[in-house]
Amino acid sequence: MSVARRAFIQMSVGATVGILFTPTVWTLLDDVSIWTQNWPWIPTLKYGEVKGVPTVSKMCESGCAVKVRTVAGEAFGTEGNMDNPLSGGGICPLCANGVQVKNSPNRIAAPMLNGEEITWEKAEEVLVDKLAAAGSNVAVISGDQTGTVNELLSAVLTGKQSDKFYTMPCDMQVSDRAWTGLMGGSGQIGYDMENADVVLLAGADAFESWGPTVANMKAFANNEGGKFIFAGPMQTKTASVTSKWVPVPAEGMAAFTLGICYYVLQAGKSVPASDFDQFKAMVMAGYTPAKVEAATGVKADQMAEVAKQLLSASNPVVVPAGSVAANAAGIALNLLLGGGMKVLPEFAAAVDGAMTRSEMLKGDILQGVDAEMVIIYEANPTYALPEQVKAGFTVAIDSVNTETTAAADLVLPSLHSYERYDDLASPYGVASAIYTMGAPVSKPASGAKDARDLFLAPAGLDSESFAEVIEAKVEAIGADMDELVEGAAYVLEETPDMSGVTLAASALGKAAVPVKGTGAVGLAPYTVLSVGTANQATTPNAPATISNNQLVGDNMVVMMASVTAKKLGVSVGSKVKLSGGNGECEALVQVFEGVLPGVVAAPLGMGHTVGDEFSKGKGDNVYKILTVSSEAAAGASTWAGSTVNVAKI
Amino acid sequence: MEERRASKRCGGVLPFIIGFLATCVLGWAVLPGLFYEEIEQPFKFSHAIHVESEGMDCESCHYFRDDGSYAGFPTNEGCAECHAVDPEEAMEAIAEAGIDPSDYNAIIAAELEVIEDNLLSGEDENKAAEREYVVKYLIQSTEVPWLNYQYQPDNVYFSHKAHEGLDIAELAEMKNELSSVVDSAVFDEPGEQNCNLCHMKDIDKNDTPPAFERNIISGYSKMTMKMWKCERCHALKGQPNACYTCHK
Repeated sequence: MSVARRAFIQMSVGATVGILFTPTVWTLLDDVSIWTQNWPWIPTLKYGEVKGVPTVSKMCESGCAVKVRTVAGEAFGTEGNMDNPLSGGGICPLCANGVQVKNSPNRIAAPMLNGEEITWEKAEEVLVDKLAAAGSNVAVISGDQTGTVNELLSAVLTGKQSDKFYTMPCDMQVSDRAWTGLMGGSGQIGYDMENADVVLLAGADAFESWGPTVANMKAFANNEGGKFIFAGPMQTKTASVTSKWVPVPAEGMAAFTLGICYYVLQAGKSVPASDFDQFKAMVMAGYTPAKVEAATGVKADQMAEVAKQLLSASNPVVVPAGSVAANAAGIALNLLLGGGMKVLPEFAAAVDGAMTRSEMLKGDILQGVDAEMVIIYEANPTYALPEQVKAGFTVAIDSVNTETTAAADLVLPSLHSYERYDDLASPYGVASAIYTMGAPVSKPASGAKDARDLFLAPAGLDSESFAEVIEAKVEAIGADMDELVEGAAYVLEETPDMSGVTLAASALGKAAVPVKGTGAVGLAPYTVLSVGTANQATTPNAPATISNNQLVGDNMVVMMASVTAKKLGVSVGSKVKLSGGNGECEALVQVFEGVLPGVVAAPLGMGHTVGDEFSKGKGDNVYKILTVSSEAAAGASTWAGSTVNVAKI
Repeated sequence: MEERRASKRCGGVLPFIIGFLATCVLGWAVLPGLFYEEIEQPFKFSHAIHVESEGMDCESCHYFRDDGSYAGFPTNEGCAECHAVDPEEAMEAIAEAGIDPSDYNAIIAAELEVIEDNLLSGEDENKAAEREYVVKYLIQSTEVPWLNYQYQPDNVYFSHKAHEGLDIAELAEMKNELSSVVDSAVFDEPGEQNCNLCHMKDIDKNDTPPAFERNIISGYSKMTMKMWKCERCHALKGQPNACYTCHK
């Protein structure tokens, strides 16, 4: 070994030992360990003032009054608005994920014509041309039940001499058909559950999917002494917290309610309606407990017990749901009892030529829509009503991709609720006329504009933006804009004229007779908000809360009682095909004794073919197997009474 | 043969010592400095002008919000309370002048009245800094990307409110124990506020902000307080050192 080489090695050893006597190596190790925690794909937090900005969310059917949580002006979460009676601090599962949907890659980035991106200028040009070409053969389908946007869109129709305004099938619609259509009333029916001492939820899944679910839950929570009874074909989440569940088939709800009316009339209750005598005669003859029991399977003593509790209450209320007949029967029972049913006035309109809410609810979309041009606003009829809508040219307005936007000729991306001015006027079911408004919380997503602005001119308005229409609405109803922006609600204390209201005796006598399809078992479709609605698919985070009784893997789950399963030759985990209407669904079987024997309970809202990873390809679409039947006596169509055949596969 | 013997005698120690000393010098004096790069703040912000000349105090910009959270760096909203250049008016003027709003040099060169008339600084150097802020950030509605000398990562929850009551005079009793955590000079002239305990000493008198020294490996600031320092002080003060105390 040469001297130089040996010296070099010795010096290297010295250098190595020497460096260990400095902080360099240790600091380097420390820095490297920190470096391993800082990969570029790890998201970083945004810092700034955390605020809760009040606004409204339109993702559920009734809409929610919310507070959007922001940091440095950027939305990151949603919570309830304690200051607003619609919320009381609560929020529904869909609106709780509003920010995630706002930021979803499923957002529509730009207007599209036949699948190709176009500019907003081109989109407006096409819209105007098509509107002109369609003449009066224009229809609107709105998925918004409570917004002033309906005034705008209905004014467009009025200007075109068209009355083809449709809402998606909803409880508000059947209630209106019963109240203003059959019974001659005006205004909107509401139910004061908070102050009632006995509440009969006659088919109304009030704490999950009926009406303002959040306000309903608050009313339930605040009503410490009240007794809640649920009647329906399955033990829903609502039924699980009520004092009693009375199993009643959906198609038999009207008859069941009239069966209770029998006892109430027998107790001497009356109402100053012109057809009271006719109503009483009809009920006492046609809906005796024995006849109702024979028609619906509900025991007479069960009806007697419910009637007894309602009669002994000082402020009872019956909350009906389902068919028009069921609603009319429920309203009639409320009029007899004189309890917590309310009649709400409609807020003044802001747009000349706009239809009233009742006029907007008259169109029966289940009977089909056929028009040269159909404008669909934040609704998903291609998913929920695949056979009902026929159009020469379809315009779909939505913030996210859906089956309807995928099938539309012209797609106009709408701003998310948190990016726009929007409002909620008396969601169906609330006990008083209540108005809530929301201002934008976030800047619009890149490329997004307010599609509603394109309809201002066609509606004959000279406003520059839809925000001005909202301002006009607030002024028209006499509310304070600043208070509304702060999240408060405006309540209108008026009662519509009740004179001339009837009990719809002649129509109800026939319409309340249960009519069932020809399938092997009854179908009880039910909505769970975390699964989604007809217009809104499930949202990010929500799938984690979907029960194994609704979805296992990518398979939908239907529930039935063990006696039904035995009859059908299936057991837990069996894969079955359900056939009904003009469609089929596949599902796994779950046995649940909380379902009426002879009935299969299936969750609505699954089986999307367009959407994000959370909804697309999950479960099957139960809307395909619903049967539309005519409530001839009530002049309406209904899904109640749907039946299916079940085959093991 | 003589050479080889000589090598055997002292060659085993001398190269070792040379190597040892060389890396000791490098490791203590040279290498540590190479781990950091200096980055300037987005523009020359003078604490001295705002505090001494304009009479502002720390809480004018660095305040606790009503919910107890700490505002940290000032936002455009706060700055605009004094630097009253209307972004909308400025952008309109820029558009009228046919200038690209992102071409800052062109906007500055244009000396637009809507900007120039609202500048508050007197001296040219200060006015240039103020103009840079207004053009690059205020009228663009872009928040200033201030560089935080005491940067802490997202997984550390530090509450200024919880440390608001620390009294430098009281801590002076632990001056020796804290010598590795806090600059001892801080205890010589305790100020009214305790900011100097962790932050740059007497930053309120600073005219030109010092460069941000960024570790080229970890990305952290040279002044980032390491966990052991937090733990040392917590232990001395009898405060909990459980993980969740800082890692929520």
